[in-house]
Amino acid sequence: MGAITLEAISKSFGPVEVIRDVTLEIPEGELCVVVGPSGSGKSTLLRLIAGLDRPTRGRVLIDGADVTARPAADRGLAMVFQSYALYPHMTVRQNLAFGLENSRMARAEIARRIDEAARMLEIDGLLERRPGQLSGGQRQRVAIGRAIVREPVAFLLDEPLSNLDAELRGAMRAEIAALHRRLGRTMIHVTHDQIEAMTLADRIVVLRDGRVEQVDAPLDLFNRPANRFVAGFIGAPSMNFLTLPVPGPGGAVTLGVRPQHLRLVERGLTVRVEAAENLGAETLVHGTTVTGERLTALLPGQLRPRAGERLVLGHDPADEHRFDTDGRRVG
Amino acid sequence: MRGARFLTRRRGVAGSGRGWHWTDIATWVWLVGGTVLMFGPAVWLVLSSFKTPAALAEFPPTILPYAQQTMEIDGRERPLFTVTTPDGTTQTMAELRRVGIVAQMVDPAAPEAEPLRVNIAEREPLREIAFATSNYTEPFLRFDFWRFFRNSVFVTVVATALTLLTNSMAAFALSKYDFRGRNAVMLLIIATLMVPLSVILVPLYSVVSAVGLLDTLWGVILPTIATPTGVFLLRQYMLTIPDELLEAARMDHASEWQIYWRIVLPLAAPALAVLAIFSVVWRWNDFLWPLVVLTSTRNYTLQIGLNSYAGELNVQWHYILAMTVAAIVPVVLVFVFLQRFITSGIASAGLK
Repeated sequence: MGAITLEAISKSFGPVEVIRDVTLEIPEGELCVVVGPSGSGKSTLLRLIAGLDRPTRGRVLIDGADVTARPAADRGLAMVFQSYALYPHMTVRQNLAFGLENSRMARAEIARRIDEAARMLEIDGLLERRPGQLSGGQRQRVAIGRAIVREPVAFLLDEPLSNLDAELRGAMRAEIAALHRRLGRTMIHVTHDQIEAMTLADRIVVLRDGRVEQVDAPLDLFNRPANRFVAGFIGAPSMNFLTLPVPGPGGAVTLGVRPQHLRLVERGLTVRVEAAENLGAETLVHGTTVTGERLTALLPGQLRPRAGERLVLGHDPADEHRFDTDGRRVG
Repeated sequence: MRGARFLTRRRGVAGSGRGWHWTDIATWVWLVGGTVLMFGPAVWLVLSSFKTPAALAEFPPTILPYAQQTMEIDGRERPLFTVTTPDGTTQTMAELRRVGIVAQMVDPAAPEAEPLRVNIAEREPLREIAFATSNYTEPFLRFDFWRFFRNSVFVTVVATALTLLTNSMAAFALSKYDFRGRNAVMLLIIATLMVPLSVILVPLYSVVSAVGLLDTLWGVILPTIATPTGVFLLRQYMLTIPDELLEAARMDHASEWQIYWRIVLPLAAPALAVLAIFSVVWRWNDFLWPLVVLTSTRNYTLQIGLNSYAGELNVQWHYILAMTVAAIVPVVLVFVFLQRFITSGIASAGLK
């Protein structure tokens, strides 16, 4: 239960095409993270799956059944909204019970599910409070709890951690991962935070301008980005792109090297330092090459290069990525 | 103590708090003058409602209600006067009878003595503050005031409830559903604000007459329940309710009716409170429309009932004043208890 298939989905708002021909297959039980810059259509994609919006073209299938025309409530999905969307005038218990009451579930069963979810999320003590009396992290838990009690075939999470501070975000990220292992249900998690994507996902879908750029496991995405966009988007600090003086094999015109893979060497690329940021264990060096291209290098240890100083950098040929004129990966 | 210090706080000379700056005087004059201007008529109304018809007709008028003191002599109430005797002293005396400008008066301490003949110019009526409560009791006991009151309460409560229901439904649709012509509909509703009742009085009368609601309270209620002000106020407030809440409810198997009833209405409570207060005041004070629709006395609302105390030849001011006070009490109470909703509700409805 919970396999979700998108078949050539497109969505336009007036003349603006937000989702373009997306085909995606999410197997049962997978934690799939949709990542992309803002405006890439990730939230729209989630809303199409949820049934809150209808696709202009294409079909949505859940467990093989076409649900494109089915209303949101009847798709068996649960959604956690970015703003949590807890009903402010109801207590936490009423918030959790609302959906179950609407589907005319027996009172005893509602109470059982709420107790179970509350225990799992450690919000037992908060059931009689209103959302306004909760902290951000607690609201987040209640929002997830509201999804859990429905026992959906799949969870849809729309940037659920974006309203939390950094520390809490790390903790909740781990909890979502644990929850996914425990419930074993399909989860589709939308985020613009690539660290969230890398740490949580079984598979990552990279979206740009409503198009799927690449679908792969996190490390495959990092190690073998399918194109220049993915290469630049995944990994922090982002990959350096240098123009090759002569086109390489397969029409490669751009060379990509991650800042982490650059090292100080005897002979190689000469870089003029513009600024250096000491991170403690590493030093992030910003500079320009002799041809004027910008470059960053993440070097181990504590270096103190002065601005204007010249460093010679090199890398292992195995760590380089080559892209053709269209930005596609070559080789 | 702190209140007194607050009230007597002054800017003073050079901001020291001592002495008087001209702004202190201006402030006092402004505030005292404003208070008298605002409260004067209300105080005069309440105090005058306790005056007898004779005291109301008196000139110059008094602020407080006075009545002449009386004393029982020989089994009858006799009015008391302060008489200036020929030797220049003053004495309290009771009047036995009066012929022309001469009154026969007697010392109440010795009523058996020979009555004294006093010119009426040489005496002053002896008066005390007295409240003529019969102004209140008689309309309640002898006239149909209770019936008017009940009619008014019925019209106000039912009209307000229906106003809240219909206006909030319209506002919900206009704020949360995206449909073709939504803005046009909204504009049309707002545009009706520019049409006063007096313009549509005649056509409205024929409509109400045609559906057989003339001289019924429903004929007063139904034409008033849809108010553009209410729709606008509620719509502006509902626009601030995030759409994600509605979508969450939709995911939670809520029907559109449940979304309206269980999510949007409770969240719009502050705006609903404001509209409820407005509606109560409007319907309670309504005069022109009920006057047109209601013809038989048993259907009169309070305001129309009050009007009936003013006849063509004779205005019973003492009843009108007393019943006006009785009629404004509910509105004043609504304001006293709900005014914080008005300010907070209007502020949050974005109608600053």
